[in-house]
Amino acid sequence: MKVDPNDSRLTAYVLGELDEAEQEAIEHELLHSEAARQAVEEIRAAAEVLKTELGNEPRLQLSEGQRSTIEQKRQPAKSRGLFRPSRVLYTGGALLAAASLFLVIYLNWSERRSSLENAFDTDRNGSTMGRGSSPSTVVQESPKPVEVATRQSHPAQQLTVQAPTKGAEVQLDRKRQGAGVGTELIVRNEAVSQPQLQAEVMQKGIVAGSAVATPMVPPPTLTPTAGPGVGGGIGTGRFRLQRQFSFMNSSSVTQGYESEELKTRDKERLTVGDRLLKQREAFNTEAYDRVVDNPFVRATQNPLSTFSIDVDTAAYANLRRFLSSGALPPKDSVRIEEMVNYFAYGYTLPMNSDPFSTQVEVASAPWKPEHRLVKVGLKGREIAQDKRPPSNLVFLIDVSGSMQPPNKLPLIKRGLPLLVEKLTENDRVSVVVYAGASGLVLPSTTCDHKAKILAALENLEAGGSTNGGSGIQLAYHTAIANFIKGGTNRVILATDGDFNVGVTNQGELTRLIEEKAKSGVFLSVLGFGMGNYKDSTLEKLADKGNGNYAYVDSLQEARKVLVEEMGGTLITIAKDVKIQVEFNPALVGAYRLIGYENRILRAEDFNDDTKDAGEIGAGHTVTALYEVVPAGKEGSLPGVDALKYQKPVEAARESKSGELLTLKLRYKDPDGTTSKLIQVPVSDRGTNWTQASRDFKFASAVAALGMILRDSPYKGNATLGGVLDLAEAGKGEDKQGYRAEFIELVAATRGLVEGRKVTD
Amino acid sequence: MRSSETQDQGNDVKALLHRLQGPLIRYAFQITGDLERARDVVQDTFLQLCSENRASVNGHLEPWLYTVCRNRALDVRRKEDRMNPYAETAAEPRSDSPDPSVGMEQTETLGSALKILETLPASQQEVIRLKFQNELSYKEISQVTGLSVTNVGFLIHAGLKTIRETMLAQPHANSKVLRRVK
Repeated sequence: MKVDPNDSRLTAYVLGELDEAEQEAIEHELLHSEAARQAVEEIRAAAEVLKTELGNEPRLQLSEGQRSTIEQKRQPAKSRGLFRPSRVLYTGGALLAAASLFLVIYLNWSERRSSLENAFDTDRNGSTMGRGSSPSTVVQESPKPVEVATRQSHPAQQLTVQAPTKGAEVQLDRKRQGAGVGTELIVRNEAVSQPQLQAEVMQKGIVAGSAVATPMVPPPTLTPTAGPGVGGGIGTGRFRLQRQFSFMNSSSVTQGYESEELKTRDKERLTVGDRLLKQREAFNTEAYDRVVDNPFVRATQNPLSTFSIDVDTAAYANLRRFLSSGALPPKDSVRIEEMVNYFAYGYTLPMNSDPFSTQVEVASAPWKPEHRLVKVGLKGREIAQDKRPPSNLVFLIDVSGSMQPPNKLPLIKRGLPLLVEKLTENDRVSVVVYAGASGLVLPSTTCDHKAKILAALENLEAGGSTNGGSGIQLAYHTAIANFIKGGTNRVILATDGDFNVGVTNQGELTRLIEEKAKSGVFLSVLGFGMGNYKDSTLEKLADKGNGNYAYVDSLQEARKVLVEEMGGTLITIAKDVKIQVEFNPALVGAYRLIGYENRILRAEDFNDDTKDAGEIGAGHTVTALYEVVPAGKEGSLPGVDALKYQKPVEAARESKSGELLTLKLRYKDPDGTTSKLIQVPVSDRGTNWTQASRDFKFASAVAALGMILRDSPYKGNATLGGVLDLAEAGKGEDKQGYRAEFIELVAATRGLVEGRKVTD
Repeated sequence: MRSSETQDQGNDVKALLHRLQGPLIRYAFQITGDLERARDVVQDTFLQLCSENRASVNGHLEPWLYTVCRNRALDVRRKEDRMNPYAETAAEPRSDSPDPSVGMEQTETLGSALKILETLPASQQEVIRLKFQNELSYKEISQVTGLSVTNVGFLIHAGLKTIRETMLAQPHANSKVLRRVK
């Protein structure tokens, strides 16, 4: 596994805080990751500068009198009375009063810090001020527009509070400190909870940033510019850098750092845009990993394309949230495969004993008619409700302060009961919550006691910081303790993904999940909320935890994920499903997999049963699209020179078979360890897309929208109008209305973009 | 170096005092925002050390001093906040104190990394100072602050990340402007 450049172990490594084994592991990983090496260099340089500057702070001394007092006291003495009086004075104070006063101070302080930062704090977690975390029930009216509320942290009551003790004296101090500082408070400004408003605040914030000159926000002049063809949404206007970025004030740069600067400067210039983009995203604190479109590759040089399936749908629901609030989504939040897979397609059910059927359709690409579009569809076996194996579910619910808004915890409290209603006495549910600490709210309970389960869900309340790591451990522990052999054993994590205390770095979290996944317990991740939404963390968790990932923005979506697609969400029928396509160079000049960017596997991984891949649930459909450039038409693509030491491989007889490609699939049974192989040869009958199936049209409309929103270099002549026509043509019966909703969304987006063009 | 604390009870206080009074006052100052109070806190800390059963603190003398200093400083601040709750003083940290002996000097020599440091959340500032100025290990910082070692590592990592990213992104001209405004 590659080390994330943002892994906190890198800092620990630089500071010599790792033990030998960890250090070796990191050093090994550094060999393979350029980004990580660069991060290490930057950390080292920053640490150097910091150390020097902190060392330059003037030296402070006690007064002569103070020193001599200590000198006199130096020999161990009995009398401790010297500072008793003041001690009594301190402890004598009313603890509650202290807590509330402290609150006010904090408020003042946070307001004093630039208004800018406050604005961006919008959806951030309630800051837990405490080093201890004893809950307190003080509610303080705020004199200022910022709404401050302290909450009793519900779960914390049942849990141990971590407070190291260091002798009786210190313990006393700790107690007081707990009362004074342990109050959890949530600073929230509801007025800016819509993405649109948030974006406005963001832009104002930048202006304010240059006026008050808050060092946190370097204020180069930024101009929102419309992305080509798309028009910048408020949320996505791309900021073009108008001033050359330079490094820090060079007068305060140590020599070593300066030379580092020179080395990295060129690289920095290239990525300045990205940095800025990153900064922008940091403002609304939603986190998305960068996605780069898969490029076209030549079939002669790379005849194999290998990837892991992905049944996640989160990106579409998230995108719908952006578009319906009148903002274009951040580019990196658009994952085309998740958009395409949000919709069910009319694939036939598997006829034989295989857990899923495969069907492939080939026609011209609507956005580039000279290219061919190959649609690969998998359909998982369906399992009737009464044939469903018994399930052991653990709801792992984030009840931290950031979960308070109505589209988070309150939505969870309405959504999960929909699932509970569908469960029977064969099923068991437990509820684990986590905030600053984690706790078992409901031990495993059979579903003939629904009232008990529903009451436990109803009583959940949000408050405090988020220690996702310990919650995950407890949830898996609970799932394993109640393991049903041959049944569904699953942790269902409902969160906004903002883990901010405890095990917080992604590397550690994913390792934790990966480890737990080996126990046979599967994971479903339900993402909630916005503004502080950590998409990148959640997707990785689901990916590593043998799981699926959905974004829930409404009760309807909760119903879709938890009721309609319950089988798919809960029952895994095949795991580690990998797809490998071998293209026939006689017919295929070049090809490109649309989407699945973060699911690409190495060709060797296909036959390697130790390599983790995606799961498919009962009734799930999985769709993948390849855009194919016919042989002889790949002219403008970059190629490599002919090899000097090897002769081009001679075409095998099969290349004349007329087959376009061979589709190979590998999967394991849910509890299996060795994979099975399915092979399907595919030919191209030369169909025009207008003659293609409805599903083909609709799926290509969804992919085209994704490419437009991503501003993909491969979008060809795709336009929102074209997407609309294509989607209309592919709508079909659409019983549940999801395709109609898509069409409305595209129409609204077109209005949004065109309206903006006029006003610009 | 830290572990080689002299065990001799008589003289070590003097040596400790000499070595640690500066860093401890600085640390207390970050919390109280007042240099005189910070000095009082450190005096009390050493007085407590003198009356402490040394067997219980030997081996982790330095984290112990920081812990006592920290708790005492928090007490002082809390007491003061209680007396003057609506004062326009920052709760944590108060490094922009007008105290001439430190404040002025500090603004003059304040390097760019320190400026960024001051914008970080208090929890990050505190652990970063303990690490880079006072050279405590993650484990010792964990003992002092009551945070878990993992969390200490994360806070330092996050703070350092902000610092390096801001340093990388900060145009030269801007930092001058910033200085003037401040």
